[in-house]
Amino acid sequence: MNTRKTLTLELTGIIGAALVAILLGIIIIYIVSEEPLTAIQSLLLGPISSAFNIGTVLNKAVPLIFTGLALAIVFQAGVFSMGAEGQLYMGAFVGALAALYIPGLPVWVHLPIIFLAAICAGAIFGAIPGFLKAYLNTDEIVTTLMLNFIAILSTSYFVNNIFKDPASGGYARMQYIASDLRLGRIVEGFTAHYGIIIALATVIVIYLLLYKTKFGYELRMVGQNSRFAHYGGISTKKIIILSVVISGGLAALAGIIEILGVHGTFKDYFSINLGFDGIIIALLARNHPFGVAVAALFYAYLQVGAQLMQGASDVPRELAVIIQVILVLLVSSQAIFTFLRQKYLLRQGR
Amino acid sequence: MIQAIWEQVLNLTLFVVLLRVTVPILLSALGGMISMVGGVVNIGLEGIMLLSAFSSIAVGAATGSWLLGVVAGVIISILVSMLMGFFSIKLKVDIIIVGFAVNILGSGLTIFLMNKIYGLTGNYSPEQLNRIPSIHIPFIEQIPIIGKLLSGHNLMVWVSIIAVFLCLVLLYRTPHGIHLRAVGESPEAAASLGISVDRMQFIALAWSGLFAGLAGAYLSMGMTSMFVKDMTAGTGFIALAVVMLGGSNPVGILIGSLIFGLGSTITTIVQTIPGNQIPSQFVQMIPYVVTILALIILAIRKKKKQLELTSQSTTQS
Amino acid sequence: MTVLLEMKDIHKVYPNGTKANQGVDLTVHEGEIHALVGENGAGKSTLMKILFGLETPTSGEIRYKGQPVTFQGPRDAIKQGIGMVHQHFMLVPSLTVSENILLGDELRKGFFSLFRDRKRELTEVDQLIQRYTLKVDPQAKVEMISVGQKQRVEILKVLYRGARLIILDEPTAVLTPQETDELFHSMKELVKENYTVIFITHKLREVMEISDRATILRAGKTIETVQTKNSSQEEISKLMVGRNVLFRVEKEEAKPKEPVLKVNHLTVPDDKGLEAIRNVSFQIRAGEIFGFAGVEGNGQTELIEAITGLRKIKSGQIEYLGQDLTEKTVAQIRAMKIGHIPEDRQTTGACLTSTISENLILDCCRAKEYRRGPFLEQKKIKGFSQQMIKDFDIRVQNEDALAGSLSGGNLQKVIIARELSKNPKLLIASQPTRGVDIGAIEFIHREIIKKRDEGTAVLLVSAELSEVINLSDRIGVLYNGEIVAILDNSTPLSEEEIGSYMLGIKRQEQEAVAE
Repeated sequence: MNTRKTLTLELTGIIGAALVAILLGIIIIYIVSEEPLTAIQSLLLGPISSAFNIGTVLNKAVPLIFTGLALAIVFQAGVFSMGAEGQLYMGAFVGALAALYIPGLPVWVHLPIIFLAAICAGAIFGAIPGFLKAYLNTDEIVTTLMLNFIAILSTSYFVNNIFKDPASGGYARMQYIASDLRLGRIVEGFTAHYGIIIALATVIVIYLLLYKTKFGYELRMVGQNSRFAHYGGISTKKIIILSVVISGGLAALAGIIEILGVHGTFKDYFSINLGFDGIIIALLARNHPFGVAVAALFYAYLQVGAQLMQGASDVPRELAVIIQVILVLLVSSQAIFTFLRQKYLLRQGR
Repeated sequence: MIQAIWEQVLNLTLFVVLLRVTVPILLSALGGMISMVGGVVNIGLEGIMLLSAFSSIAVGAATGSWLLGVVAGVIISILVSMLMGFFSIKLKVDIIIVGFAVNILGSGLTIFLMNKIYGLTGNYSPEQLNRIPSIHIPFIEQIPIIGKLLSGHNLMVWVSIIAVFLCLVLLYRTPHGIHLRAVGESPEAAASLGISVDRMQFIALAWSGLFAGLAGAYLSMGMTSMFVKDMTAGTGFIALAVVMLGGSNPVGILIGSLIFGLGSTITTIVQTIPGNQIPSQFVQMIPYVVTILALIILAIRKKKKQLELTSQSTTQS
Repeated sequence: MTVLLEMKDIHKVYPNGTKANQGVDLTVHEGEIHALVGENGAGKSTLMKILFGLETPTSGEIRYKGQPVTFQGPRDAIKQGIGMVHQHFMLVPSLTVSENILLGDELRKGFFSLFRDRKRELTEVDQLIQRYTLKVDPQAKVEMISVGQKQRVEILKVLYRGARLIILDEPTAVLTPQETDELFHSMKELVKENYTVIFITHKLREVMEISDRATILRAGKTIETVQTKNSSQEEISKLMVGRNVLFRVEKEEAKPKEPVLKVNHLTVPDDKGLEAIRNVSFQIRAGEIFGFAGVEGNGQTELIEAITGLRKIKSGQIEYLGQDLTEKTVAQIRAMKIGHIPEDRQTTGACLTSTISENLILDCCRAKEYRRGPFLEQKKIKGFSQQMIKDFDIRVQNEDALAGSLSGGNLQKVIIARELSKNPKLLIASQPTRGVDIGAIEFIHREIIKKRDEGTAVLLVSAELSEVINLSDRIGVLYNGEIVAILDNSTPLSEEEIGSYMLGIKRQEQEAVAE
């Protein structure tokens, strides 16, 4: 069986899993709700019912695309990092500082500096567990989880104390970033901001990096069979560290774009699990960049739908979480996909 | 400030708080350890604990019985861990992914149910709740120091200490424990003698569900008397770190849990001392920093040992 | 003499189409040591897996003690009194010897029989050890005991479960000569007590020494069963290999030129830090094949890993065309026109989850001509892959097929294509034909000889002595990490001659070895 056929088969399987998960969601709605039709309608159709909602879906997808890409890269390198959440905070925090405290630059110089500062912060923070894994073989799952807490708590400290906007009152946030530095709307009157364009461009860049360059080839070989890679002269240590560095940079981009596009300032605890959502998206996408874009849009759609459903009916929005969990479990089931493959082969054989 | 802490050490407040905060870490770490011994890495402890915390307080408040509450929490936890087994063993989903999914599910489902059942979004604190009782030992209670050392602790404190012994006996003194260890260490060897690897791993997960379930019930009905969304706040991950450090030895797990418990205790105490200068975020960070440092030290020691082994044997010959 | 076991016309076809057994007959008498002999891939292990219930036969009949039997799993076979000692030990390292022996059949006591009766366990194991004089400390942890002792634990495990028929799968492969002697002694003791032993091996000396009868398999079929005492090593070896010796390779006399690889006083540690290669020196010249013979595990793996940069050495020099290799990285070494066919193609030589094309470009993705800026030249890569598939006769639809979908022979051809396409000055081939079908073996041998004739220096390591003899121009024999002989093979040597060096019985003078 060649790669193209495998791809079609996988796609069919994933779409099937999505349908099953949504169906289960609908069943749950029928069980718990007294107005199931309203709930289902707002869940499934709400997100495309108005231009405003469509824009919201796009905006929500932006950070998810970045964290999804961040995790797709490390997963492809065989590193099971859970650290995107922390890297995202570090990137947003340092990026916001660069936006607020570097005075007197023209926008077209200042904006790249902000992005660069954020990327560097995320990359450096991401490199820590990478070095630990490459040289000391410490378990990256635990170190990244711990580093998440450290990043969230330390940024929270700074924004509560040193960098707090005096005018913010009870809220822990920095000053608002000058409006010319923020990401504006693509079309006036449409909620989507420029982040989605940057995100989609990044998807293409990462696709090219992973599948069309020597580095991407080496990275994938390390992830799929590190002994083969070592035998072939690929430095697995170098690849592991570079993968977490790039991943950290991408997660940081998610953070700073969320700050510049949505919040306009750095608040503590602003990312509600965007980094962890990225894990789900990478898993659903089978770590493929194009898949990440689709999965992030689907995910954002589901979230917006759930939010609308909560407003319109008696079903809490956490239903979306349940659907996501079912979906990710089905899509990650090797047994189901092996079964599908065998069935396919059997049919071919006849 | 150090003086203030010292006073609390002297009047044993520190000890009492230490026991309180160690219990959930210890119980869930024991759960994580048993599944690890059986060859299953359970990173879903956090989610299982949340589900147990919610279901136990819900049942406990509805029935007025703390015992029924705890039982409900434990049963739910075991069911969830069985479900994890179904996905990881039968449907061949990577166990890390299953654990991760359970963590998300635990957070989302409890909020969903709290909203649906009680119409609440942040926390649920029932007016009438029989908490898991504290054990006051007559007579000993009256003795000055020993009284405070031994009496007045929550029942779950004693349960968790018993659990350590239970695990010791289970792993080293019963055939069941030997089978668990064999399956975790070399599954082919176990399978070649007719021990079903799948079955043992299901059981290993059930054990971890049992202990994480007890930990969860204690969170909502012993340590506090309410359910707060995401109230585990990383306890499951700390437990995971304890398992990484303490290995497969229940005594190691106990020591590790006490170390992390001490970290949290100092956090709690420092925060309550008036005029405290250290920001709470940094104090809260202590356990996480300690975990990373401990992992690094452990890894360096392991590496050194290997190097020594190499140089020793080469100089010998 | 009663017949204990009869296996009739056993066929086994694996799902991937490999025909491992094609009509095997085996009759074993009670109380005998029955050797099952054949080259690698002759179907010995498959037959025994079927007998032990680990595989189900495609067709055929098994009669045990006169009754037809079918085994669903090892448990069924054990119940009938059949035990197997696997080639790779099935032991739990952190458990003690007695815990391993009793695993799954622990003695219980106490409340609901929940607890282990450790006292009774120890006495039972002690008795077992006494009775069969298989000396081993029952309370030692298995990770701490020697290989020979581990094997005794395996035999004790089988005996404890009441086996009367014991299958030993290549038991001597991992043993030292002394340990082998002790094992043979134990086997004789067992047979005295009317136990029956099936002994799988491809070492003829052992067959002659220990067995009563021997059944010879070749290419999945039973060739003959002989009385050992009425037979000879020559006869059995002929039966094993076939009358017209297969794989006899046509080759012209070598015309060696300048030295390509010089190894001087090389010492290499193994994973545990012990010296796997000790003070080894040899040279390989352009246009010759230098083969290493030796029982597996005598340092071959470590030697090759050291030359290819995969393993750090302890001391000595490795000189390749005047350059020192010891401080070079794997990537640098691969870039120096050194080809390496690794011994394990599934885990090291190929990436099964990637496409054929991705497996082929391991080196050329670094080469300038396959890159434009940071990008790989997809068209050139495609062209190169298609060329390789054609040149090396890789039977596959196209270059995008997954490597994991290939048969063993075709996968090996992918690896060989990759390693030969860079026109190596030095080719290191480790077990190049292991587990590969006959057609592919011939192809691979021809390719290696072709490279030799083009002036490549070839270092060959193979567990198949016949392969070493057939291909090599000179043969070095490795024993216990040292080169004990370097022999001229311009007129092929006999297996016996090399065998005595391989077993450490004979040894050349130091000067001769050092050249």
